[in-house]
Amino acid sequence: MNYMPGTASLIEDIDKKHLVLLRDGRTLIGFLRSIDQFANLVLHQTVERIHVGKKYGDIPRGIFVVRGENVVLLGEINLEKESDTPLQQVSIEEILEEQRVEQQTKLEAEKLKVQALKDRGLSIPRADTLDEY
Amino acid sequence: MFRYESLEDCPLDEDEDAFQGLGEEDEEIDQFNDDTFGSGAVDDDWQEAHERLAELEEKLPVAVNEQTGNGERDEMDLLGDHEENLAERLSKMVIENELEDPAIMRAVQTRPVLQPQPGSLNSSIWDGSEVLRRIRGPLLAQEMPTVSVLEYALPQRPPQGPEDDRDLSERALPRRSTSPIIGSPPVRAVPIGTPPKQMAVPSFTQQILCPKPVHVRPPMPPRYPAPYGERMSPNQLCSVPNSSLLGHPFPPSVPPVLSPLQRAQLLGGAQLQPGRMSPSQFARVPGFVGSPLAAMNPKLLQGRVGQMLPPAPGFRAFFSAPPSATPPPQQHPPGPGPHLQNLRSQAPMFRPDTTHLHPQHRRLLHQRQQQNRNQHRNLNGAGDRGSHRSSHQDHLRKDPYANLMLQREKDWVSKIQMMQLQSTDPYLDDFYYQNYFEKLEKLSAAEEIQGDGPKKERTKLITPQVAKLEHAYKPVQFEGSLGKLTVSSVNNPRKMIDAVVTSRSEDDETKEKQVRDKRRKTLVIIEKTYSLLLDVEDYERRYLLSLEEERPALMDERKHKICSMYDNLRGKLPGQERPGDDHFVQIMCIRKGKRMVARILPFLSTEQAADILMTTARNLPFLIKKDAQDEVLPCLLSPFSLLLYHLPSVTITSLLQQLMNLPQSAATPAPSNPHLTAVLQNKFGLSLLLVLLSRGEDLQSSEPATEPTRNNQWTEVMFMATRELLRIPQAALAKPISIPTNLVSLFSRYVDQQKLNLLETKLQLVQGIR
Repeated sequence: MNYMPGTASLIEDIDKKHLVLLRDGRTLIGFLRSIDQFANLVLHQTVERIHVGKKYGDIPRGIFVVRGENVVLLGEINLEKESDTPLQQVSIEEILEEQRVEQQTKLEAEKLKVQALKDRGLSIPRADTLDEY
Repeated sequence: MFRYESLEDCPLDEDEDAFQGLGEEDEEIDQFNDDTFGSGAVDDDWQEAHERLAELEEKLPVAVNEQTGNGERDEMDLLGDHEENLAERLSKMVIENELEDPAIMRAVQTRPVLQPQPGSLNSSIWDGSEVLRRIRGPLLAQEMPTVSVLEYALPQRPPQGPEDDRDLSERALPRRSTSPIIGSPPVRAVPIGTPPKQMAVPSFTQQILCPKPVHVRPPMPPRYPAPYGERMSPNQLCSVPNSSLLGHPFPPSVPPVLSPLQRAQLLGGAQLQPGRMSPSQFARVPGFVGSPLAAMNPKLLQGRVGQMLPPAPGFRAFFSAPPSATPPPQQHPPGPGPHLQNLRSQAPMFRPDTTHLHPQHRRLLHQRQQQNRNQHRNLNGAGDRGSHRSSHQDHLRKDPYANLMLQREKDWVSKIQMMQLQSTDPYLDDFYYQNYFEKLEKLSAAEEIQGDGPKKERTKLITPQVAKLEHAYKPVQFEGSLGKLTVSSVNNPRKMIDAVVTSRSEDDETKEKQVRDKRRKTLVIIEKTYSLLLDVEDYERRYLLSLEEERPALMDERKHKICSMYDNLRGKLPGQERPGDDHFVQIMCIRKGKRMVARILPFLSTEQAADILMTTARNLPFLIKKDAQDEVLPCLLSPFSLLLYHLPSVTITSLLQQLMNLPQSAATPAPSNPHLTAVLQNKFGLSLLLVLLSRGEDLQSSEPATEPTRNNQWTEVMFMATRELLRIPQAALAKPISIPTNLVSLFSRYVDQQKLNLLETKLQLVQGIR
């Protein structure tokens, strides 16, 4: 039943599998069990999915209670199409390793960039020192 | 605290006695420190308690199967003397805050979990709900209250002697999040440990492990949900036949929170006051139109009445279907099937009260009902389900964790969301939403007029309309305080900074600052005028909504505002007969100003508008220069054109003069005309010129030649105009927005054929050339 047409309400999404993107960049996949007026979420059988390139790995996490303000977006997962993906699932260790490698290359690239700028007398304020807002 | 690394550090090393004394004090202090060393540390050792319980759990499977007192007693000993206290406490237990919290209850009940549950689900300690349900059953069946770990770990409560005979329900409201306006989340009327009258869940007796301490508690007398004065929780309401809240929806398989129907059953029927709504739930908001539950009830009725036993896990009432209209499955065992069918056949008769709903909402509801009815008919006849839905339905069917969030909890959230939509002036608060739906309605109304099928119900989310209550806010005053303490709150904000505007003398400022200030002032004037404009534009709607007596007042207000708008535009200064152009030009230099003028023009009187137009024409090159980046001037063309059709030819003539910067007399040809050049090179300028010429031509041709002076003037001006136009090189000309058709005839009157051709090509007046 469409509880409130013309509005965005999570009530109809309950008990369905969702993908939730958090503000810290994590991707959670789980069954949405409960909500409240702040869009705090209770996710059940949650899995944290880490994507690196074309690979992804799932870490089972159990039950998550997510504070509403930390959610960037969430969307329902079509269970039939869920497995229909070009991405390749790998083990947790592997994906964590890949992630680490990716972070490292990023860091190094960043370092080079900062160094190059410094040589030219410029500096860019780093995004992580600025607050998210 | 008083320890020192070595004697040398001690400042009082000379005074050994004192040091000794310190040491003694130290010890004394330490000794008195109960929390650290004394009983406080020992008693609340939750870890110990947990360990004991863990041991307990290991013993439970034995106890369950035996179901004898012996086992119980053994385990009693395990817990030691806590047992008796526990029993006491439990028997006197009133609804504890923690225990009313469904979340905590569920978490708590995971404690006694022992056997790993077979099945496809991961059963970790955190996936407790399935297990919980199983536990609940036998607990009730055996008339045992549950033991809460929290209870166990809490510091010993003082005996609650005087409260022995007091009814549970008379306890104070639960600590947990009680909001006076919204109401607390659904509260259980029945304490957890209430034993049932019947065996509500016989199917689970085998599986359940009874937590040990449970046996100790003396059987609790059945507790009826006492009437809370005039309050009734939705649980009770649901038990009332034909209550508006009847039909608690899809119960979980064995709910840790009993569904109201089940509860009512268990309690053997309480004395309920039918028909009363719990004010805490619904009536607090004045004017709140019925709850969304009211609409859902018939559907609930369809599915739920008669469903006393919990169905297979994962049952979902059909109206929890996803919007993509995949109706959820009916997973009843065949037994309830025909029963349901009977019910459902009655359903179509039952027209829910959906008047307060948005029409679209209502339509969707009914649509869905229809679909679901068809679906269920099919289902009951083992019909064909769309295969594309089957997997989803399968999943739902197998999902034992479904409906953890009860229907009333969903309603509660939904109610809060509805409350947030309350508005005293929806047109003001939710302008775009209102407009959007109005447009939608008009569209479909138009479509329907064209003739189609049955009229669709217009569905709109009708939000509760609350009357505006004016509260004079009185800041909090403390008695007996010297002076006035100002407590700042949201209604009474404290001023943070006293910002005083100081007008600085011109000597101090640099030229740049002056310019900036002037621009700022202009911006402020534009904003103020814009507000006036929005008000004026809104008057039509207000007029329609207002009463007869108010209308003259509204009209006056409107006129007044229009006058102020004009004054703002022209910059009326005292002591000046005719205001200078400067003010207006400043406004026109700003993009928003231009758009605003375009919107204001229709409201002004002809004279005022003509004045505006004249000023614009006079200053057009400057404005064109300033508009180079924005290119907003063309928006003025249409209101200006409309205006031109109301202007007399005198005005037109002078306008033309202004626009082309023609010299006053034909005799003195100006060497060059940069004004005209600029005008012609600009899209707006050229278009305006052409429209002007066209209008002049219309007037000329339509008017009888009664006033020779005017005619002469016009002719003179036209001669000059054509002369100028011929002089302008073609290359730089802009492309006009529209070319009026009568220009050829216009020019043909004043120039010979050769020049006419020239003009035509230059101005691209003839369609073919382009």
